[in-house]
Amino acid sequence: MSAFKVQFFSEIDKLRVQLLNNVDIIAENQRAVEETSQDGILTQIEGVILGIMTSLSRDEVPILVLPNRSSWANISFDSAVGLQMSSEHSVTSIRSDCSSSVTKFAQILKILSVIYRLVQSNSYATKRDIYYNNIQLFGSQRTVDSIIDDISCMLKVPRRSLHVLATSKGLISGDLCYLEEDGTRVDCHPTSAVSISSNIGGIRNIVSSAKFIMIVEKDATFQRLLDDDLCTKLSPCILITGKGVPDVNSRLMVRKLWDTLHIPIFALVDADPHGTDDLSECRSSMSFEAHSLTVPSVMWLGLLPSDLQRLRVPEDSLIPLTKTDENKLNSLLKRPYLTSQPDWCKEIELMQQSKVKAELQSLSSIAPDFLSNIYLPNKLRYGGWV
Amino acid sequence: MTLACPSVQVLRLIQLMGKQRKRSSLKNTGALLVLLWTEKGSSHQRINCTVATAGSWCFGIAMHTLQADLKKVLLPGAWPCPEPDPEELSAFTDLYGSLKFLLNFQMKNPGLYSSKWQAHVKAFLQTFGLTNAGIRIQLKFKIHGQKSQHDFSAFLISKVALSVRPPLILDVTCSAQPWCDQRGSWCQKGHPVVGERFPLSIPPKAMDQGLFGELSVQIVTLLSPCVLQYPHLPTELSRMQVLVFSPSNIPVSAPSGFFQTLPVALDYQHLGLDRMHCRSSKAFPDDPVHGDGVVFTVGQENWDDPEQEPSHLPVQQSLLLLLFLQHSDPFTSELTDKMDCELLLELHLEDILSNNRQAVTSALQAELFNTMKALKERKKKREKLQSAAEVIISSTISIVSSSSNMDFRSACLKRMKVHDTHGLSASLRESLWRVSSWKRLPKAGCYSAQQVEDQAASNEAIRAEM
Repeated sequence: MSAFKVQFFSEIDKLRVQLLNNVDIIAENQRAVEETSQDGILTQIEGVILGIMTSLSRDEVPILVLPNRSSWANISFDSAVGLQMSSEHSVTSIRSDCSSSVTKFAQILKILSVIYRLVQSNSYATKRDIYYNNIQLFGSQRTVDSIIDDISCMLKVPRRSLHVLATSKGLISGDLCYLEEDGTRVDCHPTSAVSISSNIGGIRNIVSSAKFIMIVEKDATFQRLLDDDLCTKLSPCILITGKGVPDVNSRLMVRKLWDTLHIPIFALVDADPHGTDDLSECRSSMSFEAHSLTVPSVMWLGLLPSDLQRLRVPEDSLIPLTKTDENKLNSLLKRPYLTSQPDWCKEIELMQQSKVKAELQSLSSIAPDFLSNIYLPNKLRYGGWV
Repeated sequence: MTLACPSVQVLRLIQLMGKQRKRSSLKNTGALLVLLWTEKGSSHQRINCTVATAGSWCFGIAMHTLQADLKKVLLPGAWPCPEPDPEELSAFTDLYGSLKFLLNFQMKNPGLYSSKWQAHVKAFLQTFGLTNAGIRIQLKFKIHGQKSQHDFSAFLISKVALSVRPPLILDVTCSAQPWCDQRGSWCQKGHPVVGERFPLSIPPKAMDQGLFGELSVQIVTLLSPCVLQYPHLPTELSRMQVLVFSPSNIPVSAPSGFFQTLPVALDYQHLGLDRMHCRSSKAFPDDPVHGDGVVFTVGQENWDDPEQEPSHLPVQQSLLLLLFLQHSDPFTSELTDKMDCELLLELHLEDILSNNRQAVTSALQAELFNTMKALKERKKKREKLQSAAEVIISSTISIVSSSSNMDFRSACLKRMKVHDTHGLSASLRESLWRVSSWKRLPKAGCYSAQQVEDQAASNEAIRAEM
């Protein structure tokens, strides 16, 4: 590597050393949730069915009990992991004798029967497959997605243990090669981006010399960076996008890369409440399987609210906060995982005080290539992250 | 009962006098005795009739002023008759208190002794008791040595507010119990639904005879048996009966000519009914509910499913449509004039209804629509449950069939008391049907059999105090 490159990555290398010192890698691996055995899943599903028959044999109404996933009271925050479900949590009952809930009851059983077959045959299906196999019963993809998450919570297993894969929407590009479960070799070297695999658990033989990973919030920004050949300019690196709110596979991929490469991960999001929310998803996911989806060491590279002042972004590129934005910022500041991030809190408070937000595209009002040629290289070179 | 029947006239008189005194509904309680009897050796064409009342519903009627004059006016076909057996009257007063009204007269009519006529009298009084539920009715026949007694009283009553009329005291006791299963704690009470009042125009022919003023009709519907507490039990409407009441709340013969054309006039298919057929109540004198009404048999779509389990057959419901005629004429104030107006109304009822065919048909259609709407919603919920049940069963069978865990499979078959997965499917279906169909949601306002007994005891106490 040239002297320029060495100097360029000096701050990033320092960060990496810091991260490796702070994070007990072995402990992390041990903390990783053991994949529930296939037999365990089958036994759990059989338990649900037997419970239904036991109720019927007693002339009682079968009821499915699901942990309540929509209440903040049901979760607690662990700084090493992120958000996770409390051991004592409220539940929702799904009755089979009530016209308002019987359809959901039936949908849950249908998906359980699909999962049972998948696990038994060691095959996989995407959520999309499940939906399209029975459109009339489910009505919408969202219903299938929600029920699969409910089942994951009910059986207390990660979703991938159910052999149900999420359809990936994310893209990845950069210094990275790996093998998929079926042996397909994937090379993410940047001529164009590659779709993130559906089966992250099956990925092996990851090879990369990347110095860092950059998570880009928006697909438009990601494409712009590819067009500007950022992967070459800042090589070696990996760029990844979840195209907005990062989907499970994108998050699993980031986590897998962290677990394998132990390199800094930077997030590039808009300086607005939604961007900050997406950022927090990467760091502290509200998920039953937070252990495997979050990377507590994600750094906020940009666009920082403090950047707007520092760079004197033209006012006509700034957008006033709406009432909804202000409410969202208030809500974010109350999230337990942010209290351990004083620098992030300062940035959010700055956004509140300035009452403006901005997209990454606003940097092009300074200069058309400002983002790729000046902002990002300087940020990475001089440690401009929080 | 013909409208000129003396007994009917007497009842009409008592009712109109009550209205004239602006009798409050609280005073619509008491008892009525109708005694039809013959003397030894009397002519076969003569029958004696005693009408007696007790209780507050006849409060204020001066008996002595009625005896002579009103007999002439009201009962032109009546003759003086001997006094009835004092023991009959004392048995009545012992139960219901002192007599407030007593009228004896004799009728001459060849058909008076027939069992058909007796059945008509019985049906008439029973129908009278339906909308005058505060009155306990005793009907006694003592004809040539043969005695019979019929008592009509309501266990459960409902006060129904009508427009421009004193509130009705309706007998809403529902004795009909669904056949299907004795495990149900059935509501013994009907829940009357009051429809809109709408005006009727008086046809010229009736006006020529002296019927003027404002005429209107209000419909009250009563669906039985009540299955509100069992929201998932399958039901279907199989019978409809129309009863008409005069302004003085006396049952009136529903003109069969008009009502027989109703199935053609009503868009019953829009209501979700497959068929509607008018049958004459005269052809079914033993109809368990009420005579003198018009009865329709109706059938719903997908009625007869030959594959349906007998225990899954829907509960048959019957709809009673009560048409209350209301008439006011500011130029009619005398009791006798009001009596005449009522007679004219009944005489020209067929004409009146035909003259207002569209309004009457629309009103009946609207009431039927409301009833069927509720039934359709039940059916929709039922279908949702059935559709989901099929998914539940198929998913369960899929897991059990494909499981290699013998303990699990055995436990499932044992729980459902079957030998194989084929039997398991049927057993699951039956069990799911049972737990969902028999789901009971207690409703305020619905009375179980036990509550009816308690209410009857309470009614007895109240009557004893009176």
